[in-house]
Amino acid sequence: MKALLASWAMLISAGMPLLGQAPARLPRTPDAKPDLNGIWQALNTASWDLEDHTGALHTPPGQSVVEGGEIPYRPEAVAKKAQNFAGREKYDLAEAACYLPGVPRAMYMPYPFEIIQTPKLIEMNFSFAHARRNIIGDGTPHPDGFPDFWMGDSRGRWEGDVLVVDVKNLDERTWLDHAGDYHSDALHVVERYTMIDPTHIQYEATLEDPKVFTRPWKINMTLYKILDKNAKILEYECVYYLQDEKYGNAKPVVVSK
Amino acid sequence: MKTIATVTLAFVTAILVNAQEQKWVAPRTSDDHPDMQGAWARRGTRIQEANGLVSPLGEFSSTGQPYPTIFNTGVATALDRATLAVQKTGVVDPADRVLPWRPEADAARREFILHMIPPASLKYVEPTARCVLPGPVDGDDRSPFFIIQRPGSFVLAYEYNHVTRVIYTDGRPHVGKKLRFFMGDSIGRWEGDTLVVDTTNFNDKTSLAQTIPYHSEELHTAERFTRVSPNLIEYQLTLEDPKLFTKPIRVAGYFAAAPKDTEPMEFACAEGSQTLPNVFGIEFAPTR
Repeated sequence: MKALLASWAMLISAGMPLLGQAPARLPRTPDAKPDLNGIWQALNTASWDLEDHTGALHTPPGQSVVEGGEIPYRPEAVAKKAQNFAGREKYDLAEAACYLPGVPRAMYMPYPFEIIQTPKLIEMNFSFAHARRNIIGDGTPHPDGFPDFWMGDSRGRWEGDVLVVDVKNLDERTWLDHAGDYHSDALHVVERYTMIDPTHIQYEATLEDPKVFTRPWKINMTLYKILDKNAKILEYECVYYLQDEKYGNAKPVVVSK
Repeated sequence: MKTIATVTLAFVTAILVNAQEQKWVAPRTSDDHPDMQGAWARRGTRIQEANGLVSPLGEFSSTGQPYPTIFNTGVATALDRATLAVQKTGVVDPADRVLPWRPEADAARREFILHMIPPASLKYVEPTARCVLPGPVDGDDRSPFFIIQRPGSFVLAYEYNHVTRVIYTDGRPHVGKKLRFFMGDSIGRWEGDTLVVDTTNFNDKTSLAQTIPYHSEELHTAERFTRVSPNLIEYQLTLEDPKLFTKPIRVAGYFAAAPKDTEPMEFACAEGSQTLPNVFGIEFAPTR
């Protein structure tokens, strides 16, 4: 009977996070934080379009990951977004040039990434373009006078069991998705990583950019842990593939001295 | 007699100092391996041959290397010069640094590098100038390296071009033979207090040195990381490439402690490089 009760208790506690109640038993690091180490991937179509979108050739359909459904663009920014959309095959630099995809887009590119977690430094190693995020967690603020980075400057802290990452200094050339959703150099992202059970992280990011949006807005999605045996992050070195395509048959214009 | 006494004393002192040095035991990780975590400066791992071959890339830097220098003036180390001066660096085997080239492979690369400046076509462009992953030897040592250890893996994160090597030590085998990577597939194991890393599955698209512009897919490397003092990790890299060399070659270097507050910064390369657009007169990515 006792054993039966215990197994019930386990079942109930395992089911609880889905009911929004007490958290499941999470794996923990030696410093008692939720252990996020492992390989993760978003399983959605946000990288094609954060908002609702019907399927099209090379575009899998998907529902909006934006809280409230739509991105609150300033009136004058709507035209720019439409212009971006029209020119997306050429101007979406993550797709067209394999450039670093920026934050938050790196988190929902359709490629896996690995979290490498230590008490004061969390590294994220992405398959796409061997991108990496260095999340500094030693309590230091964003330094003054830094330039903009393709992947931004990330500073992390724990609020209880939630990893909160503050991201600034983001290069305005990155887009938020392939549909031309964009931001300026004033973008400020606050991410919240909530491990809801050993194999799922609820990922939420708040985007604030008064030059482009009328108010801060949120995206919300699940990150899934890759459990396949011996899974590892493999190189997707697409800059090289693209260089081969662009210059493979080209003749140099540089002449000998 | 006095001389003998002095010599003996010096000898005894040397033994004592030696014993003291050997007594140092690296701090341990939770899984009881030497703890090498932190920020490091890599030095000395270059392959420089004693054969008089002149690098064609000496001139290349004047046409614009992709490396940003504004934020990367070089990571300092906490170690004093005297300690570093005695560290072995560069090619240590063969001792005379004359590499055991297969004659036909040596001739082929000598012919190859004649076409590198200016590059005759894309295949003659120096790989690091393409901003791709640098392979087993290259990487900009002005940038710091970061070591993170977890039970079952050892992570070497270069600031340079955001290279991240996750070296599993959990007993898993190498990936399948068909898979090919710029950085190869690395598997680690502990031999006592030394981490030994075996790497296979290389592609043939990276260089080993400015005068060794490529290697074959049969390249196989073994690396050894040994933390010998609070501020020093001794490093050895053995390279075997039966298509290039008749014997393995061995390179020594070290990782010296970087200042404690060293943070990894972003080293974006492809995003800023104009090397290929300049060489071919074709833009890589649109600017607007």
